[in-house]
Amino acid sequence: MTRYIIRRILQAIPLLFIISVLLFVLMINTGDPLATMGGRKATRPEDRARLARQLGLDQPIYKQYIYWLIGNDWALIDMDGDGILETPGSRLGVLRGDFGNSLISRGKAVIEIIWDRLPNTLILMIPAEIIVIIVSLIVGIYSALRQYSLIDHTVTALSFIGYSMPIFFVALVSMYIFGVNFKRWGLPYLPTVGMFDPKMGKTTVQIIWHMILPIFSMTVITAAGYSRFVRSQMLEVISEDYIRTARSKGLPQRLVISRHALKNAALPLVTIVGLDVPLLLAGAVVTETIFAWPGMGRLFIDHLSRSDTPVVMGILMMISVAVVFSQLITDIIYAWLDPRIRYT
Amino acid sequence: MKQKRFYRIVTVLTVLALTLSAFASLAGAQEAAKVATFAWTQEPDSLNPFYTDMWFATLMHQVYLCWAWQFDDQAVAYPHLVTELPSVENGGVSEDGLTITLNLRDDITWSDGEPITSADFQFTYDMVMTDANTVNSQYPYDYLDSVETPNDLTVVMNFAEPFAPWLANFWRGILPKHILEPIFESEGSLIEAEWNEAPTVGCGPYVFDEWESGSYIRFVKNQNYWLGEANIDEIFFQFVPDDAAQTAALIAGDADLGTFPPLSDVPVMQNAGINVLSVNGGYSEIWFFNFRDMASPGAKDINVRKAVTMALDRNAIVDDLMLGLTQTGETMWDPLTAYGYVSPDITPWEYDPDGARQLLEDSGWIDRDGDGIREDADGNPLTLYHGTTIREIRQDIQAVAQQQLLQVGIDLQIMSEDSDIFFGSYSDGASCATGSVDVMEWSDAPFFPDPDTDYWLCDQVPNDENPWGYNYFGCDETLDALFRSQLVETDPTARTEIFHDITQYMHDQVYLIPLYIDPDIWLINPRLTNVTISGVTPFYSIMSWDITE
Repeated sequence: MTRYIIRRILQAIPLLFIISVLLFVLMINTGDPLATMGGRKATRPEDRARLARQLGLDQPIYKQYIYWLIGNDWALIDMDGDGILETPGSRLGVLRGDFGNSLISRGKAVIEIIWDRLPNTLILMIPAEIIVIIVSLIVGIYSALRQYSLIDHTVTALSFIGYSMPIFFVALVSMYIFGVNFKRWGLPYLPTVGMFDPKMGKTTVQIIWHMILPIFSMTVITAAGYSRFVRSQMLEVISEDYIRTARSKGLPQRLVISRHALKNAALPLVTIVGLDVPLLLAGAVVTETIFAWPGMGRLFIDHLSRSDTPVVMGILMMISVAVVFSQLITDIIYAWLDPRIRYT
Repeated sequence: MKQKRFYRIVTVLTVLALTLSAFASLAGAQEAAKVATFAWTQEPDSLNPFYTDMWFATLMHQVYLCWAWQFDDQAVAYPHLVTELPSVENGGVSEDGLTITLNLRDDITWSDGEPITSADFQFTYDMVMTDANTVNSQYPYDYLDSVETPNDLTVVMNFAEPFAPWLANFWRGILPKHILEPIFESEGSLIEAEWNEAPTVGCGPYVFDEWESGSYIRFVKNQNYWLGEANIDEIFFQFVPDDAAQTAALIAGDADLGTFPPLSDVPVMQNAGINVLSVNGGYSEIWFFNFRDMASPGAKDINVRKAVTMALDRNAIVDDLMLGLTQTGETMWDPLTAYGYVSPDITPWEYDPDGARQLLEDSGWIDRDGDGIREDADGNPLTLYHGTTIREIRQDIQAVAQQQLLQVGIDLQIMSEDSDIFFGSYSDGASCATGSVDVMEWSDAPFFPDPDTDYWLCDQVPNDENPWGYNYFGCDETLDALFRSQLVETDPTARTEIFHDITQYMHDQVYLIPLYIDPDIWLINPRLTNVTISGVTPFYSIMSWDITE
C-alpha cells in the first residue's frame, strides 16, 4: 500500500504540471485585468501601458508562466519604461511556495488572500456536507426500507422537487421567508446576509446563527439528490443473498442494516463524497454570493471576473491538488470498506 | 405508538423553536453605540486611494481620507484642507495658468495628532510618480512639472502647460508621510505597505478600525478630527455582493444604506419605506458610434446615425426599463448642464420613425429585396453591430432597440461580453479596440464635475503602436482640436464657449446617442437622518449624519 501511495503521488506531479499549464493559458486568455482598473471609466492608455510593463503583463504567455512557476528573481524588469531592464524581479514562484501577489488587490499575497477566506468556507461547507450525508442516509435508508409506502412516495416527491429547484431560488425564498417576513410578522427571524453581525462580533453564536440559512439551502438541494442515490443502493443491497443470510441467522434488523447493508451500500457514496472534498475547499459560489458569506466561492468569482490570474491560479491549483489527493484517500477508504480490493 | 411519536415530534419542534429564540436574543442583543451599516455590493481592492479606482472604493474616501477640497450635494467645490479655493482673483492661480498655489489650514491633523503639512502633499506627489509603487493611475499628477513646498502651509504646483480641469482631479486623498515614508525607505515601494489595507492613521471624520476580508470594513470616530466629532459612532461597510440580498437586507433593516440597486427593486424598496435618493454623478448611458475605417458603411453614414437616433424611442426605454427614474439626454455633458457647458442651441432629437424612414430613403438606403432590411446601392444590408457589457439593463435595451430599429429597416446585431473582455486591448482583439462593433454602449462621464474628456483625441485611436488607446470611435480633426484647446484654456468663459462648440458639433455629427442620464441611486433607511450625498464626494457630510430610532 505504501508503495502504491508513493507511486500515486509521483504520478500526480506531471499531472499537476499539465493542469497548471492548461489553466494558466486559459486564464490569460479570459480577459484583461487592466481593462477594468479604471473603475467606472475606461483605464487611461498611458496607465495601461505602464501597468502592463510593471506587472509583467506585456510579456509573452510562456514567460509569464515561467515567472509564475519558478519566479522572476533571476530576471530584470523595465519599471520606468526607458527600454532598459534595470529592476530585479522579486517573485520566487510557485515551486518555492510563492503564488505571487494579486493584480487587483495589489501587493497582497495570494496565499494570504486565500488563507483569509479558506476557514470561512470550511466552517460553512464541512457542517453542510455532514448534514447532507446524515440527512440523505436517514432519508434514503428509511425510504428504501419502506419502499412504495406513503412515506417513500412523499419523500420521493419532495426529493424531486428539491433536486429540481435552483439553489438561488431556495436561497432567496428562504431569505425572504425566514429573514424578512418572519421579522415583519414579529417572529424570531434569521439574519439575511453575512457570516456574523459586525456590530456583535465574530462569536460562535453569531456564526452558527448566520449559517442556518446557507446550510439549509445547500442541504435541500444536495440531500435531495444523495438520498435518491442511497435509496437505490440500499434497495439493491438488501435484496442480496448475504443480507438474507444475516436475517436468517436471526440478527436484529438494526444490525443487518447498519453492519452489513449500509457498509456495502455506502461504497459508491464514498466515491461521491470523495469528489465533494475538493468542492469543500472551493466553496459554494451561489450560496456564498447570495448570503454574502466571505468564502472561497465568492473570492474565486470576484477575482475571475477581473481576470486576476495569480489569485485564480492559486485557488485552482489548490483545488487540483485537493482533487488528486482526495481521490487517493477515496481509493484507500475503498480498500478498507471492501476487503476484496487490493492495491499494489 | 402513534401518539408517542406525535409527542416526540412536538417536543423536538418546541426545543428547536426555543433554541432559535435563544439564538435570536443572544445574536440580537442591542448595543448602546450609534452604529450604521452600509450594504456594499463590491469589496474595495485597497484603501490606498492610489491603488484602486473601483467606484465602491472611491465612494468611501470622505469617511477616512481627506481631499484638498470637497464637493457638496450640488457638486460645487468648497475648501477642505485649504483656506480657500485657488483662483486667478485671489492669486492662487497665476495669470498664465502655469502655477497653482494652495494655502493649507493651520489646524488640520492626522488622526494620530500629527499635523497635515505641505510635506504630505509633496510626499503624495512623489509616491504617485515613483515607478516602483506601480500606482493605478498617475493622472493628473503626470501633468505637473513639479511640486514645491516653500513652507509647511504652502503647496505650489507647477505645470508645463495650463491644465484646466485641475479642480476636479487633484489631491483626491493625501498620504501620511510620517507613516509611509519609513516603509518606502526600507522596502523601496509602498506596494506591500500595511497602510494600504489598514489605514489606521487617516484624516477623515472616521478612522479605520478593522477589515474582515469578504465581510466588512469598520470605521470608528476620529477623535482628533479638526472639524469636530461625528454623530454616528461606528460605520460598517458590509459586503453584500448579490443585488437581491442587498434589497432583502435593506428591507429587513439589516442595512441602513445601499447603492447601485437593480432598478426593478426600487419600487419594492419605496413601498417598504426605504428612501430613494437620486444623485447626479456625471454619468450617462450612451451609445457611442464607431466611425473608423473598419466600421460598417451604415455607422459611417451620418444620415444613418441620425435615422438611428430618430428611430430609437428613448422615452419608452426610460419609462419602461428605467421605471421613469431618470430622463433622456442629448449630450455626454447633460449632467453638467447646470454649469452651462452644453450648447443652448442644441435641438433635441425627437422620436420620429417616419422621419427616420424618409431620411434613409433619401440617402439611398432602400429595401431592395423586400426582406425588411434596407440596402445601399451596392446591395450591402443596413446592418449595425451593437456591443455592450453583460449588465442586465444593457441587454434589455439591446433587445428593445433591435425591435425599434427593425421597424425602420435597420438590422441591429447584438452581443455582450464581460467588461474585462469588452474593454480589452487592441492586441487582444477586443471588440471595442479593434472596431468589430459599430455601436458600443456603456455608462460614462467626463472628469465630473469638470467637462474634460480625452476619449475623442486622435492619438488615442487604438492600433498596433498604441494597443491600449481608448478612442474606439474615430479620429475627427475638428473635434480633436476642440478637445485639445479646452484642456489648456484657463479662462472659464472661453472654455465654456469651446464646450458649446464641442457639444453642438458632436450632436450634429451624431457621434453618440445619450440614452439617459445615469444617476447614482442611493437607498436610505429612514432611521439614518440628515443624509445629503454629493455626486463627486458622496459622504462629504457624513459627520452630520445621525441615527434616529
